Amino acid sequence: MASYILRRLLLVIPVLLGVSLLVFSMVRLIPGDPAIFIAGEHATEEDIDAIREEFGLNRSFPVQYWFFLRNLVRGDLGRSTRTDRPVGVEIWERLPNTLKLASVSMLIASVVGLIAGIISATRPYSFLDYISMVGAMIGVSTPVFWLGLMLMLLFSVQLNWLPAAGAKTFSHIILPAITLGAASTAVIARMTRSSMLEVFNQDYIQTARSKGLREGWVIIKHALRNALVPVVTVMGLRFGTLLGGAVLTETVFAWPGIGRLMVGSILARDYPVVQGAVLVVACTFIFVNLAVDLLYSFIDPRIRFE
Amino acid sequence: MQRTIKALFAILLAVSLGMFAFAAEPQAGGRLVVAMGTDPESLDYMTMSSSPAANVFMHIVEGLYQLGLDGNPIPVLATGHEVSADGLVWTLFLREDVVFHDGTPFNADAVKINLDRFIPGARFKFLLSKVVDVEVVDDYTIKLYTEEAFAPMIAHLTHGFIGMISPASIEAAGEELINEPIGTGPFVFAEWVRGEHILATRNENYWGEAPYLDEVMWRIIPEDAARVIALQTGEADVIFRVPPDDIPILNADPDTTVVHTDSVRNLYIGFNTQREPYTDIRVRQAINYAVNKEDIVQYVLSGAGRVADAPIAPGIFGYKQAGPYEYDVEKAKALLAEAGYPDGFKATLYHPTGRYLMDASIAEAVQAQLRDVGIEVELVTMEWATYLAFTRKPVEESELEMYLLGWGTVTGDADYGIYALFHTTQWVPDGSARSFYSNAQADLLMDTARVMPNPTLRDGIYGELIDLLWYEAPWLYLHSEVQINGQRANIHGLVYHQNERIIVTEAWIE
Repeated sequence: MASYILRRLLLVIPVLLGVSLLVFSMVRLIPGDPAIFIAGEHATEEDIDAIREEFGLNRSFPVQYWFFLRNLVRGDLGRSTRTDRPVGVEIWERLPNTLKLASVSMLIASVVGLIAGIISATRPYSFLDYISMVGAMIGVSTPVFWLGLMLMLLFSVQLNWLPAAGAKTFSHIILPAITLGAASTAVIARMTRSSMLEVFNQDYIQTARSKGLREGWVIIKHALRNALVPVVTVMGLRFGTLLGGAVLTETVFAWPGIGRLMVGSILARDYPVVQGAVLVVACTFIFVNLAVDLLYSFIDPRIRFE
Repeated sequence: MQRTIKALFAILLAVSLGMFAFAAEPQAGGRLVVAMGTDPESLDYMTMSSSPAANVFMHIVEGLYQLGLDGNPIPVLATGHEVSADGLVWTLFLREDVVFHDGTPFNADAVKINLDRFIPGARFKFLLSKVVDVEVVDDYTIKLYTEEAFAPMIAHLTHGFIGMISPASIEAAGEELINEPIGTGPFVFAEWVRGEHILATRNENYWGEAPYLDEVMWRIIPEDAARVIALQTGEADVIFRVPPDDIPILNADPDTTVVHTDSVRNLYIGFNTQREPYTDIRVRQAINYAVNKEDIVQYVLSGAGRVADAPIAPGIFGYKQAGPYEYDVEKAKALLAEAGYPDGFKATLYHPTGRYLMDASIAEAVQAQLRDVGIEVELVTMEWATYLAFTRKPVEESELEMYLLGWGTVTGDADYGIYALFHTTQWVPDGSARSFYSNAQADLLMDTARVMPNPTLRDGIYGELIDLLWYEAPWLYLHSEVQINGQRANIHGLVYHQNERIIVTEAWIE
C-alpha cells in the first residue's frame, strides 16, 4: 500500500511537467500580448517595451520556460503581470474560498444525490423514481448562470431569505453551493440508481433477503456498499471539476475563488497567474483522484493495491 | 372663506417646507455599499491602470488637483500655482493644514517623494513624462521643471493616479508595492479582501469637511444582473454600470433609481487614412453621412449615449461643437460617386466585443446602414486583448481598414484627447494614432496649443483644430458614452463624475 502511494506520488511529477508545458505554450499561443494589455490604449512603444523587460516577456520561449521551471522548483510561481503581486499569494487568497464552495456543494450533491438514487433504485419505475430522474435530467441540463440568477430572484429578491452575492457569512454560501452542486447531484443520483439496480440482481442480495434481514439493512449493508465504487469514482471526478471549474457560479455570485481569478487572468493575458492556477488545480485533481483510488479498498476490501 | 384657505395653504406650505427641510438634513453614520464590476488591480499608483482602481483610491489618497465637474481643475492639496513666462517652470503652493492618516505631516518633501517615485516607474508615468526635475523650494512650495513648455500640466495633475501617499509608508514598502495605501483623503483604508470587498472608514481628522458616513465598502460583483439584484435587495446602495435592459425595472421600483451621467469617453470608428479608399476625404465624409448616429444611440444604446459633434466630448477643456454630420443617404451616395465609387465598395470593420457598451451591436448597426450606400462591410470581431495587439501594428504591417475604438479623455483636457490620436508623430506603435492621419496644419495647431500658456488663446486654437478634424473626418464620429449607474432612493449627496467615478465623500443615508 505504502509503495503504491509512493509510486503514485512520483507519477505526479511527470504529469505536472506535462501540464506546465501545455499551459505554458497554450497561453502564449492565444493572440494578444500581456504587455500591450497592461499598458492599455494610451501606451507608447517605450512603455510596452519596459513592461516586456520587467516580466521577461522579451526572452525566447525556451528561456522563459526554463526560468519558469527553475523558479517553480524554488516554490516561486512568479508575479502577476496585472497586479504585480506574487502569484502564490494571489492563488492562496482565493483557494480557501474555492475549497469551501466545492466542499459544501459536494456535500449537498452527495447527500441529496445518494438519497434520490437509493429511493429510485428501490422503487424503480414508480412515481418517486420518475420525479427524481426527471429532476436529475433537469439538474444536469440547466445552465449554471441561469439557475443561479433564478435562485437569486426567488430567494434574494422575492423572499428576501438569502443574500445574493459575496462571500462574507455562511448564508452567502448556500445559493452558490446549490447552483454549483445541481449538476453533480443529478449525476450522482443517476449513477447510484443504475449501480444499485445492477447490484439488486446479484445472488447475495437474494441470500441476504432469504436470511430474513430487514430490507433497510439489505439496502444499506449489502446493496449500497457494493454499488458504491462507481458512485465514489463519479464523486471524485465531480469534486475535481468543482475545484477548477466553478467559473460561472463564482462570477454570478461574486464568489472570490480560483475560477474567477483564472478567467480574469486569461482575459488580461496574465500568463503567470494562469500557469500557477492551472498547476494548482491540476495538483488538486491528481490528489483527489489518488484519494478516490485509495477509498476503493476501504469500500471494497477485495480491491488491493500492489 | 378665502382667508381660511389662504391660512390653510400657508400652514400646509410651512409644514411641507419644514418636512422638506427635515428630510434634506444630512444624517451622519452608517455604512454605504458601492458595488462595482471589477476588482482594482492595485491601490498603489505604481501599478494602477483602471477606473475602478482610481475610484476607490481617490477616496483614500488625494492628489494636488482634481478634475471638476465642469472640466476645470480644482486645487485639492495644492492651493494654487504659477508658471514661468517661458512655460518651463511650474511653481505649486501647498496646503499647510494637512496630515496623512498615519500622522506624518503633508508638505513639499512628501510631494517630491511621491513624484520622484511616480515619474520613473508608474504604469501611467506618461502623465508626467514632461517633468524632468522636482525641486522643494520651502515646506509648502514645490517647483516642477519641464524641458519644453507643456500647457496641460495642471490638467495632467488632476489625474486620480497622481496621489500623495504617506512618505513613511513609501519608505516602509521599499521596492515592494503598497497594499494598504495611507493618504490624506476623507476615508482611511481599513481592509481589502481580494475579489470580495475593500473597506474604508471615516477620517475623523480630515482637513476638509469630514464625511457623514462611518464607513464605505466597495464590493466586487462581476455579473451585471447580480449587481442589479444586489441593488434591489439592498445588499448594495449604489451600483456601477446598469445594463440598458434593466433600466425600466430599477426605475419602476420606488426604492431604486437609475442615474445617467455624461462621460468623457468617446466612441469612434477610425479609418486607416493611408489605405485606399480611405485616403479620399470624400469617402470618409460619405461614411459619416451614411450612418445614423441618432438611431444607434436611441435603439442600440437605449439612450445611453450622446451623438458626437466633435472629436472630444463636452466637459473637456477645448471642446467646441463642430457637428454633427446629419444622416443623409443621398449626400453620402453623391460623395461616393464623386470619389469614383458610385456602386460602393467592400470594406472590413474590426471591432472588440464586451469592451464598450454594446460594442458588437454598434458595429452591426453600422454594417447594416452602410449597405444602403453600397458599402458591403465584413465584420471581424475580436476579444479585447487580441484586438489591442492587432490594432497596434505599424503602418507597413497594419491590416486595419475601419476599426471601432473608444478613448477616455481622463485629464479633461483636449491635448490628451487629440494629440496622441491625430498627430503625425503619434502613429502606432509610438503613440495611439491608429488612423495614420497626417495633416501639417493640424500638427501645427496641436503643437501650438501644447505650449500656449494663455487658456483663452489655447481654447481658440482647439476650436480651429476641431473644425479642421471634423471636416477632414479621419474617423466616423459616433457618440460619447453615457454612464448608467443605479442607487437606492434613501442615499443622498452622491457625486457622479464624468470620469467614471462615484464620489461618496458627501453622501449620507436617510
